[in-house]
Amino acid sequence: MDRNQAHRNRRRLLKTAHFIGLFLTMLVICVPGLWIVLNSFRPTVEIMAKPPVWVPSFTLDHYRAMFAGAGEGGVPVFSYFRNSLIVSVTSTFIAILIGMSGGYAFARYRFWGKNSYFVGLMLFRAVPGVALSLPLFIVFAKVGIIDTHFGLILAYVAMNVPFTIWLTDGFFRQIPKELHEAAEIDGCTRWQAFWKVEFPVARSGVASAGIFAFLTSWNEFALASQLTRSVGSKTMPVGLLDFTAEFTINWGGMCALAVLMIVPALILTFIVQKHLIAGLTFGGVKG
Amino acid sequence: MTRRRLPEWLVLLLPAIIVIAAVVLIPLLFSLYSSFTPYKLTRPSTLWKWVGTYNYEKILSDAKFWAAFGRTVLFLTIVLNLELLLGLGIALMMNKVTWGQRTLRTILMFPMMFSPILVGFQFKFIFNDNIGLVNNVLQSMGFNAALPWLVDGKLAMFSIMFAEIWMSTSVFAILILAGLFAMPRDPLEAAKVDGCTPWQSFRHITLPFLMPFIYIAMTIRSLDVARAYDIVQIMTGGGPARRTELLWTLMSRTGYVDARMGLANAMGYVSIILSILFTVYFFRKLSAARAELGMAG
Amino acid sequence: MTEVTLSNVVKKYGALQAVHGIDLDIQDGEFVVLVGPSGCGKSTTLRMIAGLEDISGGEVSIGGRVVNDLPPRERNISMVFQNYALYPHMTVRENLGFSLKIAKRPGAEITEAVNEAAQILGLDELMDRKPAALSGGQRQRVAMGRAIVRHPDVFLFDEPLSNLDAKLRTQMRVEIKKLHQKVESTIIYVTHDQIEAMTLADRIVLMRDGHIVQVGTPLELFNAPVDTFVATFIGSPPMNLVDGVVEDGQIVLDGGVTLPVPTTAGRLSEGQAIKFGFRADNLMPAGHAVDEDGAVYELDLAVTLTEPLGTETLLFTNMAGVEVQGKMFNPRPVRPGEKMNFRLMLDKCHVFDAQSGHAIRR
Ligand SMILES: Nc1ncnc2c1ncn2[C@@H]1O[C@H](COP(=O)(O)OP(=O)(O)OP(=O)(O)O)[C@@H](O)[C@H]1O
Ligand SMILES: [Mg+2]
Repeated sequence: MDRNQAHRNRRRLLKTAHFIGLFLTMLVICVPGLWIVLNSFRPTVEIMAKPPVWVPSFTLDHYRAMFAGAGEGGVPVFSYFRNSLIVSVTSTFIAILIGMSGGYAFARYRFWGKNSYFVGLMLFRAVPGVALSLPLFIVFAKVGIIDTHFGLILAYVAMNVPFTIWLTDGFFRQIPKELHEAAEIDGCTRWQAFWKVEFPVARSGVASAGIFAFLTSWNEFALASQLTRSVGSKTMPVGLLDFTAEFTINWGGMCALAVLMIVPALILTFIVQKHLIAGLTFGGVKG
Repeated sequence: MTRRRLPEWLVLLLPAIIVIAAVVLIPLLFSLYSSFTPYKLTRPSTLWKWVGTYNYEKILSDAKFWAAFGRTVLFLTIVLNLELLLGLGIALMMNKVTWGQRTLRTILMFPMMFSPILVGFQFKFIFNDNIGLVNNVLQSMGFNAALPWLVDGKLAMFSIMFAEIWMSTSVFAILILAGLFAMPRDPLEAAKVDGCTPWQSFRHITLPFLMPFIYIAMTIRSLDVARAYDIVQIMTGGGPARRTELLWTLMSRTGYVDARMGLANAMGYVSIILSILFTVYFFRKLSAARAELGMAG
Repeated sequence: MTEVTLSNVVKKYGALQAVHGIDLDIQDGEFVVLVGPSGCGKSTTLRMIAGLEDISGGEVSIGGRVVNDLPPRERNISMVFQNYALYPHMTVRENLGFSLKIAKRPGAEITEAVNEAAQILGLDELMDRKPAALSGGQRQRVAMGRAIVRHPDVFLFDEPLSNLDAKLRTQMRVEIKKLHQKVESTIIYVTHDQIEAMTLADRIVLMRDGHIVQVGTPLELFNAPVDTFVATFIGSPPMNLVDGVVEDGQIVLDGGVTLPVPTTAGRLSEGQAIKFGFRADNLMPAGHAVDEDGAVYELDLAVTLTEPLGTETLLFTNMAGVEVQGKMFNPRPVRPGEKMNFRLMLDKCHVFDAQSGHAIRR
């Protein structure tokens, strides 16, 4: 009897601890983000108030200022958003094409030194953005593609290709090679067999690779901060710096831009979140 | 007969190779060269002056560099280990959740979508000694002193690590959780019947199975360790008085503020080698773990 | 007319030679089965015919046309794979119609051909399902349907039944045979199961280590194996083989039994080491045999073990120190250890050279 009771108590205790642990974890994860969202709707005086004001009031001032453009000392958010979108989407698209073709080569062909090639490619991804930004800045300046969409797209494609190869390789490897053989016998060329059979089957892997590439480009700062200068090419992460002056920071405005940055990433990730995890694990573990 | 053509695999890999060569390899070769010159952005002619290993000797005998280097390695060690432990803990907790697990998992993925620079600003805001959330809460609870989170060296290091861990623990949690889902039940049940305590079955059955997943997470993370640069750059810029200076901030200061490209590129190489060592190490661990579980492709 | 001809076909994987110069003529409409132990090069040969594997040497021609360098799609063949290789993202209907769609046939024709194939294979109910929602047998049927839709010149099957359970396998075997009678195309079928080979084939090609060992009708291989490998591979249970030597124009088995030389055997030299072979069907106890004509050698043997199979019972016994199997029709219960009077039908026995394993036949 007693021992049963003891075990029951212990289980109850564990359950409570489990709940508290989860709650705290979620709290720590959510509060910083929510704090940003909340403050984007608070007037600056309230943000700066001392002692703190705990009951928030609501204003759209920061958003209004942000979208009003550069006119009233604001930040040209629209341009930044457009630049970010153009650069991220284009570079993701190209990186997927190139990476998929490379991943396919690794998954389907045997050749000498395959593993070394593979690790070699991954190592290029490991080069820190800051370390790369110094020489890349000089080279791009020489070629004359500094401060252009093209230059940044090129840099992001190179940055995203290795990881895309890693993920798609894992996915193509999951697909039995008999599938494209069957397609070839059914009258396809190799090219048709890929697009009509293997690509649709590997779709979710490609989708997850796409998300990762997009997020990387969308969020990247170290390279963008050096390779872009003007309103015509600066991306949002770089644009965030516009809210900082020598000694002061426009917190409210920055929070508003931050929200604008996170929302597309959030939406996109929700759409394909199932594939995201599958992509990572298949690509990595079984590949 | 037929014309000699490139093998198909090479044709397929060629775009990737070309892009990477053009955007990464060539600049890296250039920077390797310039690390042997006293190149200054402001004086282009310095690019043609060969100084041999002068830059390397200089940084290797520079106490500031070694301090930054040591701090970087320490920072990475602490941060990666904590992320792993926390990620493991979170994954184990999530695995036990019976209700609303999908929602929780989605929330868990939040930080992965945040730009590192955004994370930097976010925590700079939250840890602000004057108007930050943390101090506001502390003061409302009756502590009178405003803690100088980003001004005191130790506290600043703590804040930066906190930000970094907040951003990256999800990667571990998500991947380990995926591993837990993929785990077969039979061995665990057999262990239970055989009389293993929960700790024993975790230690001898669950953990070995999770190893490949942990190594993937480590590998993915090690590709991105330098993202910490963004955070540090925003939160403290390496200050106060270089107390939070990491290899990457030192490099960017040397290159962009002091315009001493040659020297900065020499540091860059040290940081690249550091990153590569991390990546190669975990890649090998990953292959070994895979082979052990018979998952090799 | 679509005969398939292989002449001196070779396949090398780097240093490893998987197929060593195979010669084979397959007639139009013939059902040929490639059979042999695992790793003997059956699949490789089939895949070279299909165009999925480069040919390292020799010539493959289909319908009189050399196809060595043609891609699969220009050979007008179809193939059923061991794991079926159904397209997982397409419904059964789309799977069946895929090849015609690729060939840009008009929609009405596709529908008709797909429906016809579905009818033949009883797939009508399943047309809108994805392969993941099908059972093993149904998948197998879809794979066959995909092959017949195009009316190819040649069907290639690579162990299509090996993933099915025993009962389904027997059933599908019959269906494949019916299918062949209906479509009358040339079929090349790979299996490592000799029963499948025996029941399906017009002609069997028995392979080992990348060589063809024997080609012939199932009965030829059964009745006149060219060597001990064929003798033990074809037929169930495998042929009994007992070592012996030729002495004074008689065969002396190692355990001491002396037998007259079977009438079928060819020239034997004095002192030659041989293997004496006979099937279980030809060693039967008196009164339980089907056919007792011809030369018969009688001997008493103790039964060690029995395996009743219904109409017949397998009898395990020792002959000259070697375990051999006999058979009894109209079976009655037999106690282990019971001595029975066995009759060995000498006309149906085989003599092989002990060294080379080759049959010594008239
Ligand atoms: N891609 C390859 N590279 C190297 N060797 C191979 C390759 N494919 C097959 N082989 C080798 O060629 C030989 C013949 O293989 P094949 O697949 O034709 O055998 P099989 O008769 O079909 O056997 P099974 O009954 O097991 O399918 C084997 O020794 C095999 O190891
Ligand atoms: Mg085979």
